[in-house]
Amino acid sequence: MSSSTSTTPGSLGSKLLRKGRDSVLGMDPQKIIKNFFGANSGITIVVLVLIMVFLLREGAGFLGTYHQELEVYRKAGLEFCDIADTPLKEQQLLTSALRRAKTTTDAALKTALTDAEDAFDTAIEPAAEILLELKTHATETKELATEHHTLEAGRQQLLEAAAGTSDAKHKADLLKEAELSKVDAPDYAERIATMLERRGELSQALTDYTTALETAAATLPEAVSDVKKAVPAHVATIRKATENLQKWSWEEPVSYFTAVRSFLFGSAWITNSSWHDIYGVVPLLVGSLLISLVALLLATPISISAAIYTNQFATDREKEIIKPVIEFIQAIPSVVLGFIGIAVVGDLIKGISQWELLSWVPGFPIQERLNIFNAGFLLAFMAVPTMFSLAEDALNNVPRAYAEASDALGATKLQTVFRVIVPAALSGILSAILLGLGRVVGETMVVLLVAGNRIAIPDFGDGVGVIFQPAHTLTGIIAQELGEVSRGSSHWQALFMVGILLFLISLAVNGCARAIAKRFEHSKA
Amino acid sequence: MTPNPFAGDNTRTQRREAAARWMLRIGSYLVVVLTVAIFLFITIKGLPHAVKPGFLTELTSTLHVIETKTGEFIQTGPAEADTIKKQLGEAFVGEKTISYSGGGILGPIVGTALLVLVSVSVALFLGVCCAIYLSEYAKKGKFLEMVRLAILNLAGVPSVVFGLFGLGAFVLTAPVLTDAPADRAVFVIPLGFTNLSFQGWDTCVLSGGFTLAFVILPVIITASEQCLQAVPQGFRETSMALGATRWQTIWRSVLPFATPGILTSTILGIARAAGETAPIMFTAALAFKDKLPWQKDLPPLPADAGMLAQWEQSVQRFLGIFTESVQALPYHIYTLAAKIPQNEYSEQAQYGSVFVFLVLVASLAASSIWLRVHLRKKYKW
Repeated sequence: MSSSTSTTPGSLGSKLLRKGRDSVLGMDPQKIIKNFFGANSGITIVVLVLIMVFLLREGAGFLGTYHQELEVYRKAGLEFCDIADTPLKEQQLLTSALRRAKTTTDAALKTALTDAEDAFDTAIEPAAEILLELKTHATETKELATEHHTLEAGRQQLLEAAAGTSDAKHKADLLKEAELSKVDAPDYAERIATMLERRGELSQALTDYTTALETAAATLPEAVSDVKKAVPAHVATIRKATENLQKWSWEEPVSYFTAVRSFLFGSAWITNSSWHDIYGVVPLLVGSLLISLVALLLATPISISAAIYTNQFATDREKEIIKPVIEFIQAIPSVVLGFIGIAVVGDLIKGISQWELLSWVPGFPIQERLNIFNAGFLLAFMAVPTMFSLAEDALNNVPRAYAEASDALGATKLQTVFRVIVPAALSGILSAILLGLGRVVGETMVVLLVAGNRIAIPDFGDGVGVIFQPAHTLTGIIAQELGEVSRGSSHWQALFMVGILLFLISLAVNGCARAIAKRFEHSKA
Repeated sequence: MTPNPFAGDNTRTQRREAAARWMLRIGSYLVVVLTVAIFLFITIKGLPHAVKPGFLTELTSTLHVIETKTGEFIQTGPAEADTIKKQLGEAFVGEKTISYSGGGILGPIVGTALLVLVSVSVALFLGVCCAIYLSEYAKKGKFLEMVRLAILNLAGVPSVVFGLFGLGAFVLTAPVLTDAPADRAVFVIPLGFTNLSFQGWDTCVLSGGFTLAFVILPVIITASEQCLQAVPQGFRETSMALGATRWQTIWRSVLPFATPGILTSTILGIARAAGETAPIMFTAALAFKDKLPWQKDLPPLPADAGMLAQWEQSVQRFLGIFTESVQALPYHIYTLAAKIPQNEYSEQAQYGSVFVFLVLVASLAASSIWLRVHLRKKYKW
């Protein structure tokens, strides 16, 4: 349709069709309208870019802040204390194992165990005392450093404001105020020297502890063979710690790479601690992945078989029931499913796990109502409609000729379906599964309510039973903690970093799904 | 007796076919049964609470449970609790309070409605415009490809990331007109009579509504585009052949036929927006609020205030609806589920709210499905 079509002069149509007339800013109305709509669709791109921009704006500072915190961690000697603390924590685990064993009725064994526990505790005491003193000292240094940093930041702001103002008196006031708030950085060298003086003492105490421990362990009763077996490893840990104490130097610089590494590969997420906040996403990532895996394993067979059944075998009446019901699941808000998980599914799973009949299942009977399996089960339910409708589309798109050719060759219905139609739709089905995965990884409310919210890497020692442990997830941590942190703190920034990670994961999953689906389109053509 | 010649021979292959068919059938019906079971369970547990007088028309409050000497438990609101305690006198044994569990859920319902109103208005405008471009104007090229990619990826972004985006963009950075820009403003553009300050809208209906708008935008675009594409090409060609411009064609002979379908998809968008929790957690929702959005405290007007002052205050009151945080049903359910212990007293609020919410969202979804089927029959070309 070209605008040069000759029309009767004077009609409304001709006015609107002629180019160059009624132009605004060199564009005729048609072009303006077109550009208006084009601009509106451009908003989708803009929003996607803005999401990244805002995530980066709030989260990008994380590296710097965390790097600085790590530097203080080292310079103030917190790291030094943590090295010495590792064997002490292990010792506590050993004694608590002894204490648990004390529930025995055997009186002689009980005395022996009490003696052993006492021996363990007395042996560690000198080292623990020294460490406690060091810890107090290190905390003080850290507080000084934090104070210095806060005041310094305030001073910089004052200076900036002074530079920006044109009022001479105001400027002088600001500069004066800035001068007043100037505080020297804590003298790390001097403060750390007091700590290092006691390094020998601490090492000696730990060595003494090792000797005492080995003596005590030799007389340990056979009943606690697991503790007995753990002792050599424990001794090795102490040796290693003593060595590390000797090697440790506060002057060694902390690289930015360390900050990145401890965020991406750190195995602990500890916040709001008076000691040292640690932001490592591995426990969250593992939680997210385990829950998604459970959800995927439950949802895939069911939704794919439902798709195959409705597409290939179901009568029209059955289709009329199955399709709307499964589509209806999409409308159930995730927070409602989360509530059902807390109120019903948790108790149900726990009740079932106590049946004698099922005691062979790994991880049964379960301890926690809210766990990975519970969350995975509900997420599987949420993923079913996505996978079902996409997989059904994929099956629908298989050319009829394939099925007809197969029928003509004398194949049974089942053979046609599983040997011809499903393989032909396989990439579509795969991309449906991936998109379902994307939905599961990004889901927030269900995991926040139902996953149990324990921030720790689940204990894989249980084998498959690991899925009955509580966990925390990437999405859950943001929803749970963001409301309570102050803006701009390292914790706030860390949560936005988690958001960036989630965004990238969802982009990657989506990208994969589309790439697979695209290959399918080509093969069809 | 002669065997039935049409009966299939009961061979192994046939048995295997039947078995496989049944396996698939069981898989499908498992989902159906589970869905129906959940719906029935919520209905049975929640319906009796939801029909109690006042549940839909009262504001949320703290539930007081007063134990009497005779072993009775009286459930009441904070206002009447003291009077009852006084009346009981000696017979008073103990009192338990359960937050958020008393009264009704009017506040959350109103809040959800406001959030949905804002988000759907924004998303519908942007979404339909985008769909019109994609279906009527766009030519194959870099820009179109990028838009399609953006829509697909936008649909995959986790809702909690949208929440972070909304927090950064609308709560903390969006521009406002103000005479006194806040310190945290990213930058301020002086306009002479006032300043355009990029300091954000704080947590309020507007921030939450805009955030939700972008969550449902991909849904609305995709659905609207399908509706526009479904209008037969002949309609456009006829219109063009009669000498109409492209815009006249769209306005007069494409949009009218696509509108019912677009509205259907909008209902689906509403259901989706009403059901999202994560995006409004940091941008709009409050756990507790004892006032409706329009019951805002404003300085009392002097007795001799003129019409203009009265009118000004009314406008302020109306605008205040959008600049305050509200309770919302999904967030209310989250609070009840996560922060309140499960017991017989919290059950009313928990199951009652869940039932109302589910029925609300389900009826929206169902009406959209029904409309789709109905309209498809009506608009057959």
